[in-house]
Amino acid sequence: MKKGIFQEFEGYSKIVEEIEASRRYGIDYSVDKDSPEQYINLLHPPRLELRVSDIIQETPSAKTLRLVSTNQYLPPFQAGQYIGLFLEIGKIRTTRPYSISSAPNQTGYYDITVRRVEGGLVSNYLLDDVESGHILQSSGPAGNFYFNPLFHKKTMVCLAGGSGITPFMSMIREVVECGLDRNIYLFYGNKDLDDIIFHETLKAISERSENIHYLPVIENPAEGYQGHSGLITGSLIRETLDHLEDKTFYLCGPQEMYEFCIPELEKLGIPKRKIRKEAYGPPARISDYPGWPQEIKAEDLFTIKVDGHKTLKGSAGEPLMVTLEQAGIVVPSLCRSGECSICRVKILSGKVFQPPGTLVRKSDNQFGYVHSCVSYPLEDLEVLI
Amino acid sequence: MEGYDVVVIGAGNGGLTASAGLAQKGFNVLLLERHNVPGGCATSFCRGRFEFEVALHQLSGMGTPEKPGPLRMMLDNLGVLDDLEFVEMDDLYHVAMPDGFRLTLKTSKDQVISELQEMFPHEKESIERFFDLVYSYANQMLAAFYFKDPDASREKYPLLYSHAFKPAIDVLDELFSDPLLKAVVSVYWGFLGLPPTRLSFAYLAMLFFVFIEFKPFHLKGGSQALSNGLINRFLSSGGTVRFNCGAKKIIVEDGAVKGVITEDGDHIPANHVIANASQVSTYVQLIDPENVPNETLREMRGRTLSPSAFVMFVGFDCEASQLGITDSTTFLMANTDITDRNLNRMQRLDIDDELMVLSCYDVADPDFSPPGTCQANIVTLKYGDPWLRVPPSDYHRVKYRCGEAMLRRVEDIFPDVRKHIEELEVATPLTHMRYLGHPNGAIYGFEQYTKDSLFFQPGRFSPIGGLYFASGWTGDCGFQSTLEAGLSAANSIIKKPNL
Ligand SMILES: Cc1cc2nc3c(=O)[nH]c(=O)nc-3n(C[C@H](O)[C@H](O)[C@H](O)COP(=O)(O)OP(=O)(O)OC[C@H]3O[C@@H](n4cnc5c(N)ncnc54)[C@H](O)[C@@H]3O)c2cc1C
Ligand SMILES: Cc1cc2nc3c(=O)[nH]c(=O)nc-3n(C[C@H](O)[C@H](O)[C@H](O)COP(=O)(O)OP(=O)(O)OC[C@H]3O[C@@H](n4cnc5c(N)ncnc54)[C@H](O)[C@@H]3O)c2cc1C
Ligand code: FES
Repeated sequence: MKKGIFQEFEGYSKIVEEIEASRRYGIDYSVDKDSPEQYINLLHPPRLELRVSDIIQETPSAKTLRLVSTNQYLPPFQAGQYIGLFLEIGKIRTTRPYSISSAPNQTGYYDITVRRVEGGLVSNYLLDDVESGHILQSSGPAGNFYFNPLFHKKTMVCLAGGSGITPFMSMIREVVECGLDRNIYLFYGNKDLDDIIFHETLKAISERSENIHYLPVIENPAEGYQGHSGLITGSLIRETLDHLEDKTFYLCGPQEMYEFCIPELEKLGIPKRKIRKEAYGPPARISDYPGWPQEIKAEDLFTIKVDGHKTLKGSAGEPLMVTLEQAGIVVPSLCRSGECSICRVKILSGKVFQPPGTLVRKSDNQFGYVHSCVSYPLEDLEVLI
Repeated sequence: MEGYDVVVIGAGNGGLTASAGLAQKGFNVLLLERHNVPGGCATSFCRGRFEFEVALHQLSGMGTPEKPGPLRMMLDNLGVLDDLEFVEMDDLYHVAMPDGFRLTLKTSKDQVISELQEMFPHEKESIERFFDLVYSYANQMLAAFYFKDPDASREKYPLLYSHAFKPAIDVLDELFSDPLLKAVVSVYWGFLGLPPTRLSFAYLAMLFFVFIEFKPFHLKGGSQALSNGLINRFLSSGGTVRFNCGAKKIIVEDGAVKGVITEDGDHIPANHVIANASQVSTYVQLIDPENVPNETLREMRGRTLSPSAFVMFVGFDCEASQLGITDSTTFLMANTDITDRNLNRMQRLDIDDELMVLSCYDVADPDFSPPGTCQANIVTLKYGDPWLRVPPSDYHRVKYRCGEAMLRRVEDIFPDVRKHIEELEVATPLTHMRYLGHPNGAIYGFEQYTKDSLFFQPGRFSPIGGLYFASGWTGDCGFQSTLEAGLSAANSIIKKPNL
């Protein structure tokens, strides 16, 4: 033990005795050394290995992949959360988030339901090349789009677009299967009738369950269609619901849907705190995004210098992360929507465009960190990963 | 693989100042951090319109530019001061009880005394004596240890000799009779993790002293700004940082550090390692057992893990004044109990009548949250072990149950909060375990018993050659102490001969 005046302080010898006793009867930290980490891994495993056990054709353009764990264990999740798939397609290593469409009370598997995106790398791969028995790697469940009983209202008004139905499917299944005391109004927008994922299931559930209301809305219906058509508008919502105060609104779907529907909700006087929206990837055409500098074209090419040694070319219209992945440089990613910050990189020089609303910390802004999944080069760049 | 002079494991406060300090002196340093941002506790995260502060309630030791405190001087030496904007809080704290009791203590000594005297006129003289004691003790302590008086003696520093190891409760009982006054005056125990029955008077006195002398502060952009500022300095001095990259192993040969193996399997030669990770995980997980001296494990056995925390982050769609929040720091006190029963409260999973602190940064810094909104960070201390017994499938349910109980406690004092919640996130001891990598999610390292203070424990030193520690696990906790701990560890390497 050290020497010093403290040895003369009142109470010193008692403390020395205490130390001796505590060492004799104390905690042996070397046993069970891994158990806290093992526990955390049950909630937040860094990686899951999943086997495709079934493939269900939902519509001509969408399939459900039923995923079981190769070690029999799947971590719990909250209805609405997604997993990030880690993939290697050709020479490209990338990730994509997919919301879990099965219910959290179903602990034997996760379903993900994938719709084809024209020219899309991963959706086409999952739909065309993946068969039963295939092994996929993923993140644990993640994301913040779920019912929070501490402040959300018991009546949920859900606005889904296209493949954005998946988190709601999980929520609806949970409410029905667990008999939860909640009401759900689902407005589900699609281009045409045979695009609707889970149409029959949703119809059946809503007929059976008083607390589930299903309202498909078809943008371009065939002549003579009887149901709701066009887009999900404020007036449709207003007509359907008796009153709006005691409800929380949830949106999941493409960027264009948010751009249309959120102002509609605001016009109805719904306060911001009652509108929840899921991240759903970067805008389709960034150069049309409000705030994009008009003098820059999506095809404009810039030089990107990475970590001081590697140099690549990237176009303005493509997220930095995609350019990096195409060059074989992996930046960790999860939400790919600018929300989770796992992909943050430092811009040493040059300018990028990040859509307003990207969830970047103030001091990350100050010190030049950006979320590379939604950062578009506007100049030549030097990047530190 | 390229070698480094020093590998620093962990980019929490201690790891950051250690790295920045070494790089500033020309050392070639690699900083490894498991997470994707620097800071450890000193970080923030975004939800909707809000950026939530994770840990910093009150920053101690800053002082003003005119009367700089030790932390301001240190940050100045590291060259980060110009990049940061510090915000002084005008209250020490506010105490609120459900029966309507309210008291705000401002930050000057005279104000604190007169406010307490006004509320507790029957204990007027004792209040005066208490603060005299706090100040005399602190001055003696600083003279003997901070200014390293070579002729320190009992005659010169009688209070130091008599009070350094005295439990706070003894002092409170000697001076005061009103239980409410005792609870109000010792409420900072909630920042230290041990109730006054267990906490030494020294800790409580020093905390009062630094907050009154150097004022409580926060900063623009929150503690993440400090962490980012430190990393920025480190990088501009030539340091290398790898995020999303934990250390998996410290290689030890013949009793000395030889390098580090990362999670990705990279082998990095280095003769010095500074661990910002806990001693527990460093000795039992990072170093092979045959290289850990028995005496080290025996020494650790005597020490217990501090509590973790249950924290609620809430974004409101209105201003703080509209909720009735008028002070930056409010202690929500359900009763005046300052006994060991608080240890049981921290051991229990559920939330009921524990001491809580609610910080609202927007009071001192109206730009903290977006215009027309504000945020609150509400925390209560909880040990990690009961949470490790919650079956994973029950985790979310338990988390909401505890969150609901906490929210009710907040509603007792600020009845309108629930009407204005726009974002809300909860962190449990398991969350802290996940993000800090510390056993049981302990946020204050080992418990701050007198027997575990720096006098009696190895602090930053290790019997393994080239290994040092810099964190809340080496002695005192909190921002100021851990930031200082990093520089101390750096200095141990900088001042080593023949390097
Ligand atoms: C939280 C979340 C949940 C989701 N859940 C589902 C779901 O349940 N079902 C479903 O079908 N889809 C879901 N998606 C969308 C899904 O992640 C994929 O974006 C979609 O399958 C298309 O991927 P792709 O690789 O086929 O298309 P690509 O066009 O190859 O990739 C789409 C994404 O990759 C990046 N990208 C690649 N190349 C480019 C480029 N040239 N320009 C711009 N960006 C490019 C972008 O990040 C873009 O969003 C979800 C997305 C998010 C964020
Ligand atoms: C809720 C809360 C409230 C608090 N309030 C206050 C307050 O108001 N005032 C105050 O002064 N203090 C407060 N504190 C305490 C203060 O935040 C901490 O004492 C201090 O930040 C701890 O710093 P540290 O250096 O010990 O590192 P930590 O913050 O504990 O960080 C350790 C870092 O090491 C990393 N790490 C661990 N293992 C590895 C590995 N194997 N490889 C790579 N990286 C690794 C972790 O990821 C982490 O980043 C609070 C803490 C919390 C959690
Ligand atoms: S991957 Fe989540 S922010 Fe980029």
